[in-house]
Amino acid sequence: MSGHVRLRDLTVQAADGTPLVAGLSLAAGPGTPLVLLGETGSGKSLVLQAIMGALPPHLRRTGEVVLDGQPLPEGRARRGLWGRRIALLPQEPWLALDPTMRALAQVAEVYRLVRGMPAPRSRAEAEQRLRDLGIEEAARLYPFQLSGGMAQRLALAVLRATDAPLLLADEPTKGLDAARRDEAALRLRDEAGRGRTVIAVTHDIGVARILGGHLAVMLEGRILEQGPSERLLRDPAQDYTRRLIAAEPSQWPTQWRAPSIAPPRPAGEAVVEGRRLGKRFQDRAVLREVDIAVGRGEVVAVLGPSGCGKTTLGDLLLGLLPPSQGEVRRAAGLAPWRFQKLYQDPPSAFAPHQSMRDALRHLGRRHGLAPTLFEGLRDRLRLPPALLDRRPAELSGGELQRFALLRALALDPVFLFADEPTSRLDPITQQEVALLLRGLVSERNLGLLLVTHDAMLAQRMADRVFTIEAARLLPAGRAG
Amino acid sequence: MGGNAWRVLRPLLSRLGQAGLVALLVGCIGFALMHALPGDQAFRLAAERYGPDIVDARAAAAMRAELGLDRPLALQLLEWLGRVVRLDLGRSLVTGEPVIQELRVQLGYTALLAGMALPLSALIGLPLGIAAGLWRGRWPDHAVLSLAVLLRAVPAYALGLALMVLLSVRLRWLPPGGFEGWAELVLPSLTLALGLAAVSSRVARESVAAVAASPVLAFARWKGLSERDAVRRHGLRNAAIPVLAVLGLQLIGLVEGILIVETLFGWPGIGHALVHAIFARDVPLVQGTALIMGLGVVLLNAAVDLACLLIDPRRGRQAA
Amino acid sequence: MSGLAFGRRVAALPCARLAGAGLLLLLLGFGLVGPWLIEADPARQDLMASLAPPGARFLLGADHLGRSMLARLAHAVRLSFLLSGLTVAAAGLLGTALGLLAAWEGGWLDRGLSLLSDTVLALPGLLLVLLVIAFAPGQILPLAGGIALALWVEFFRVTRAQARSLLARPHVEAARLLGFGRAYILGHLILPELAPILFTLAGFGIGGVILTVATLSFISIGLKPPTAELGGMTSEMLPYLAEAPFQALLPSLFVALAVLACHLLAGGRPR
Repeated sequence: MSGHVRLRDLTVQAADGTPLVAGLSLAAGPGTPLVLLGETGSGKSLVLQAIMGALPPHLRRTGEVVLDGQPLPEGRARRGLWGRRIALLPQEPWLALDPTMRALAQVAEVYRLVRGMPAPRSRAEAEQRLRDLGIEEAARLYPFQLSGGMAQRLALAVLRATDAPLLLADEPTKGLDAARRDEAALRLRDEAGRGRTVIAVTHDIGVARILGGHLAVMLEGRILEQGPSERLLRDPAQDYTRRLIAAEPSQWPTQWRAPSIAPPRPAGEAVVEGRRLGKRFQDRAVLREVDIAVGRGEVVAVLGPSGCGKTTLGDLLLGLLPPSQGEVRRAAGLAPWRFQKLYQDPPSAFAPHQSMRDALRHLGRRHGLAPTLFEGLRDRLRLPPALLDRRPAELSGGELQRFALLRALALDPVFLFADEPTSRLDPITQQEVALLLRGLVSERNLGLLLVTHDAMLAQRMADRVFTIEAARLLPAGRAG
Repeated sequence: MGGNAWRVLRPLLSRLGQAGLVALLVGCIGFALMHALPGDQAFRLAAERYGPDIVDARAAAAMRAELGLDRPLALQLLEWLGRVVRLDLGRSLVTGEPVIQELRVQLGYTALLAGMALPLSALIGLPLGIAAGLWRGRWPDHAVLSLAVLLRAVPAYALGLALMVLLSVRLRWLPPGGFEGWAELVLPSLTLALGLAAVSSRVARESVAAVAASPVLAFARWKGLSERDAVRRHGLRNAAIPVLAVLGLQLIGLVEGILIVETLFGWPGIGHALVHAIFARDVPLVQGTALIMGLGVVLLNAAVDLACLLIDPRRGRQAA
Repeated sequence: MSGLAFGRRVAALPCARLAGAGLLLLLLGFGLVGPWLIEADPARQDLMASLAPPGARFLLGADHLGRSMLARLAHAVRLSFLLSGLTVAAAGLLGTALGLLAAWEGGWLDRGLSLLSDTVLALPGLLLVLLVIAFAPGQILPLAGGIALALWVEFFRVTRAQARSLLARPHVEAARLLGFGRAYILGHLILPELAPILFTLAGFGIGGVILTVATLSFISIGLKPPTAELGGMTSEMLPYLAEAPFQALLPSLFVALAVLACHLLAGGRPR
C-alpha cells in the first residue's frame, strides 16, 4: 500500500473568477497525517473536494494532483479511483450512512460489489471490520440507532473495507462533544499509524494537536505557513497562527485562580439560589438534590457532557422550567427581567426578520430606557453603529453574542445564565467574547452562571467550578 | 425498540380511531339531514326501514311508538349512530332497496375505475417526475413543472370534456360515456390519472432530487460503488419513502376525482350515486355512500402505512 | 406533502410570481370593472342568436339561449372571486386565530381543538362539502359554509404547528425574559414569521375554492342556473358540446386562468 500525494499549484476559482483556493502546493505520505487548519471560509474543505474530484460543478480547478507519481485522471475517470485508491470520510457521517440499511450490510457491500468477493466472505470480513473498531454489537442496527461516535466508527469501518491508501477526512469532529472529539481524532491518527496517507481538514487546534504529523495553516485560500505539527504549534512564525493558538483556553493567562475544591456557597449574599432541586423528564431523573447559589460579582461554572442536565439547571434557576422537587429563591425586590440568559446558538436568540435597531427600540419602549443608554453599551461592547440596521442572518456569531449581551445589560441584570455562549464561535472570537463576559462580571457586579463542556474554559473563567455526574452537582477539582 | 408487533399495531390502531371519527362525523350529519328534511319524520323512517310501498299512517304511528321519536334528541342520535357503526344503513328513500345492496354494486364499478386510474397515474407521473429530478434545473425539469402547474389549474371536468371532445367527438376513437366495456373505461380513468399524475410527478421529482443531492448517495459513490449499484442500493428506497408517504394524500385526491369523473362520464360508481342521492335528497343513500368512501380512504391509508413500515426502518422504532 | 418544495419550485420559475400577479390583476379587472363596462345584460335572452359564434355583436359568442358570453363571464368571474375571497378570509381568520390559541394555551384546549380538526380531516374535503350541501343543494350559504368548514382546518393545523415550533425557539424565550408580553410575542415575533406561509395558504385556498365551486356547479349541486357561474355555464352548454365546444369550454379556461394566477402568486404550498 503506497499513497504518496503531491498537490502542485492547486487553484479553485468561483464562477466569477474569485480564487477560493490559490496556488496550493503540498505533499503527504503514508504514516504522517497532513492536517489543514483554518477557520470557516478558508477554503480548506475545497482542497479535499478537489483531490477527490467532487467539486461543485460551478467551480473551476487548475493545477494537478499526483498520486504515486501519476497525475490523477480528470472528470469521470477519477471516479474509478473512489473506494479503490482514494476514500473520503464525510462530515457528520450519521447523515451520510444509508438510513434504511443495517450497519453490517453497508460495510459488506464494499467487499461484495467493489472488491468482488462472494457474499459469505464479504459478511465475515465486514463483521471483522466492525470488531476491529469495537462496534460489533451494532451490526444489525440502523444508522439512526447509533450515537454520533458509533456512526463515525461505522463510516471508518466502511472506509477500511475499501483498503484505499489515501484517506481524506473532512472536519472529522464536527458535531461531536469534547470527549467524543478526542476519541475521533485518535482513531484517525490510528488510520495513519496503519500505513495510510491521511489528509484531514479541521478548524480545531485541539484536533490538529492530537493528529500531529504535518500541519498547514490556511487563511483565505492560501497556506500561511506549514511544517511539522509539533514545532509549528510550539513556535509559530506567523502572527495569525500565534493568535489562533493563544485563543485556546488552555493558553489563556490565568488571571483568576479557582481554589482547588470549590466552596458550596458564594462569599457574599446569593442573588439566586436553588435548594434541593430535582428535575425529571418522563421517567428520567436529570437532576437530583442539587444545591446551588450564585452571588454577585462571581462566575460559577457547571461542566458536563451534552445531555447531562446542565442547561436544565440554568433554566430552573431562571424559572423557565418548573422544578420537580426543591425550590428556587431569588434575592428580594428585583424585577423579573433582571435575570437574563445568553444562548448557545446566537442567531436563534433573535427574531430572524427584525433588525437590531428595531429589536433594541422595542426593548427601550417596553422599559422606558433612554437611547443614550444603548449608545453607551454599544461603545463598551465595541459594536459599530453600522451593524444596527442588519438582521441576525447578516451578522457574525460574535457580533450577535455581543448584541445579546447588550440587550441583557440594558436591563441592568443581577444574574446572567450563559449557556455554552462561545461554543459556536471561531477560536479568536471565542476568546474575545469570553474575556468580555469575565470583565463585565466584575464591572457590573453581576452573578454569572456559565454552563460549558470545555473544562479548560471553565477553569479560565470561573471562580467556582462544578460538574454534573449521575444527575448530581459535585464540586470540581482544579485541573492543570 | 418497541417490539415488532407494536410497530405494526400502533398505526393500525390510530387508523381504527380515524375510522371511528369518520363514522361519527358522517352519522351525525346523516342524522341532522334526516331531521332537516321537510315532512313527517316517522313516515320517512318507516319508508326507510320497510320500503316506501307499504307505508301508511298506521305504519308511521307504529314507527313513532317503536322508535320513540318523542324521546330526547340525544338518545335518538345515539341509537342512530349505533346503527351506523353496525353498518345498518337502512333503505334508499327513492328505490326502497337496502342501501348496502346498492353500495355493493356501485363499489365494484368505482374500484374498477380507481384500479385503472392509480397505476395509470403512476405510469405517467413517476417517470416524468424521476426524469425531472435527475435533470433538475434543466429543461426536462422546467417542462414537467410547467405541465404539472397547468394541469393542477384545469378543473377535472374540463379536462375530461376536452379529452372527450378530442378523442371521441373529433377523432372518434372512443365512446364518450356509459359503461358497456373496456373502451368506456379509458376516458374516465385517463382523466382521473392525469389529475393525480400532476401531483405524483412533483412528489417524485422532489424526492429524487433530494436523494440525488444527498450525502447518502455521495458516500455510496465514494465507497466505490458503480452508479448503477449506488442508485439501486441507496437511491431507490430512499427516494421511494416520501413518494409512498404522499400516496395517502393522493388517495384524498382520488376520492375527489372519482366524484367528479364518475358524474361527468355517467360511470355508475359510488361517487355518481352520492351526487344523485344529494339531488334526490335520499338521506340514507347520501350517508351510506359518504361513509363507505370515507372508510375506503381510511382503509387504503392503513395499507399505505403498512407499506411504509415495510420499506422505512425508522418508522415506529426508537433512536438510540 | 412536499407542497412547500413544490411552491418553491414554482417561485423559482422566472417571474412566476410576477406573471401570477399580472394575470390576477387582469382577471380581477375583468370581473370587477367588466360588469360595469359591458352594456349587455347577462340574463337577456335572444333565441335567434342561440350559439352565435364570436363576432361583432357578441364578442365571445352567445350561449344556447342567445345570452352574451362576455357579459356572463364577467359576472361569473366576479362571483368566483367574491365567493372564494370571502370564504377563504373567514376560514383563514378563524383557523389562524384558533391555531395561535391552541399553540399558546396548550393543554386541554389544544387537545380539544386538535381532536376537532382531526375529525374534520378524517373525511376528504370535498366529501364533507357535499354532505353539508345536502342540507340545501343549489344554495350559496351551505356551499360557502361547507367549504369554509373544510378549509379552516388547514389554516389551523399549519398555524398551530408553526406557532408551536416558533414559541419553543430561543428568541421567544429571550423575549419573555426581556419582559415582553403575549401581545408583543404574537404580534411582533410569531405573526410576521407566519405571514408568508399564511399568504401562500390563502393563495392556494382561493384557487382551490374557485375550482370547487366551479366543479360543484358543474355537477349541478353548487350554484343553480340562471346564476352565471363558471362551472354551471359549462354544464348548461353540455348538450351543445359537439356543436359549440368554444362556448362550452371557454368558462373552464377562465377557471384555469384564475386558479393558475392564484397558484403562481401564492408560490408556496398547496394542500
